[in-house]
Amino acid sequence: MYQFDFTPVFQAFDTLLLGAWFTIQMSGMAMLLGLAVSILGAVGKDSGIKVINLIVDIYVELIRNTPFLVQIYFFFFGLPALGIRMSPNEAALFALTVNFGAYGTEIIRAGISAISRGQIEAAQAIGLSWLQVLRYVVMKPALRVVYPALTSQFIFLMLGSSVVSAISATDLTAAGNDLNSLTFASFEVYLVTTGIYLVMSIAFSMAFSLIGRTCFAYPVER
Amino acid sequence: MVLAKTKVLIAASAALALSVFGAQHAAADSISDIQSEGTIKVGMLVDFPPVGFMNANNEPDGYDADVAAMLGDKLGVDVNIVPVTGPNRIPYLLSGQVDLLISSLAITPARAEKVDFSAPYAAVRIGIFGPTDLDIAAEADLSNHVIGVTRASGQDATLTRIAPDGTTIRRFDDDVSAVQALLSGQVEAIGVSNIGMKQIHQIAPGKYDEKFEMNRFILALGVHPDDGEMLDYVNVFLGEIKASGELEKTYQKWFEESLPDFSGVVTK
Repeated sequence: MYQFDFTPVFQAFDTLLLGAWFTIQMSGMAMLLGLAVSILGAVGKDSGIKVINLIVDIYVELIRNTPFLVQIYFFFFGLPALGIRMSPNEAALFALTVNFGAYGTEIIRAGISAISRGQIEAAQAIGLSWLQVLRYVVMKPALRVVYPALTSQFIFLMLGSSVVSAISATDLTAAGNDLNSLTFASFEVYLVTTGIYLVMSIAFSMAFSLIGRTCFAYPVER
Repeated sequence: MVLAKTKVLIAASAALALSVFGAQHAAADSISDIQSEGTIKVGMLVDFPPVGFMNANNEPDGYDADVAAMLGDKLGVDVNIVPVTGPNRIPYLLSGQVDLLISSLAITPARAEKVDFSAPYAAVRIGIFGPTDLDIAAEADLSNHVIGVTRASGQDATLTRIAPDGTTIRRFDDDVSAVQALLSGQVEAIGVSNIGMKQIHQIAPGKYDEKFEMNRFILALGVHPDDGEMLDYVNVFLGEIKASGELEKTYQKWFEESLPDFSGVVTK
């Protein structure tokens, strides 16, 4: 019978928390940067300019139809051949941003297509500038529509970020793997690591629902 | 000092005897179970040629595979080789997903607390390996350098222990990634075995050399600590193939050198 012993895990709990903090920072930054990429991608795709349309299409299809782990390997091990060298943590952030950007582009495009033509034409008719229309009449209601999809994509991103340990980035999973290699207490180490991921996911879900309620709290016609 | 050592040894053998006695009750018929099932599940590393690797037919091959086949012959059962990685091999054994590890497992005190080691069956040297123009000759020179290792490997444990402050250690999940990190310049040098060095010399002749030897590891089979019967069985098995010269022949086939002298090696 296996004897459970959590002491080595809790002795090294600070290293796990350090890894968790890195995962939060990296995922958070990847989300903000990726959101910017998504908005640019979605607007570019709907701009009607053929070249931009094609570039966005290639980017989205390339990223959404290849495994995330292979993308990370490519950025970390492949790009140095072209003289582009990133540290493991930079490569991890870059890969997550690029990945989130591709999925986000499609999500935001779905939101934009939910805005009726008439609403945009009405805004143009009362003399709003192009940027004002984009910001207040298109983006804000579009983001409101797809907000739940965006937040669940973020949770996917954060959980998926566990594979960055493969290129020696120092995230929560890497901290767990290192601790496991020192203690061999796999059950205890991964149970606690799983618990930390679960707490992070739930905390982010709650924070997002709070943000959603304050940012998009205006009445809409039903 | 000698007395203290003797005392420790006596205590250790007493503990060993106790654990064997206690264990026999828990898993007294593991060998006959395996024989009635007709297969033994052996955990093996497949990214560590020539000890363990996937051959051109995508089958596990190498020194470990040969030893596993010999054990299967003695047991009279089929060998089901389960590919494991450095970090997950001990969890595989402890959770019962494999019956035995023949996975280049080096004997270390930390591992000895979790698994039982058989008699030694091979040895591997590890060292720091980097580009020929990199100026590192000893441990103290590692400061301010970025060194890659395979997570949970012997290189990882040794480097973590000897590296001076200011050394950046990057841990990768397998040997291939660590070597890839060296070749793509993502780390300045890596901790790697003499076997790994031989391979890198083949890929990139003359570009890299060994800076210094870090450690020497004695490899053994890994047995579940509650499985005293299996431990006794594989030790008898290893004794037989050493005496008959079969192990020596296999060792020379893969390592191109003689089986080292293991006298005086403590496995617990």
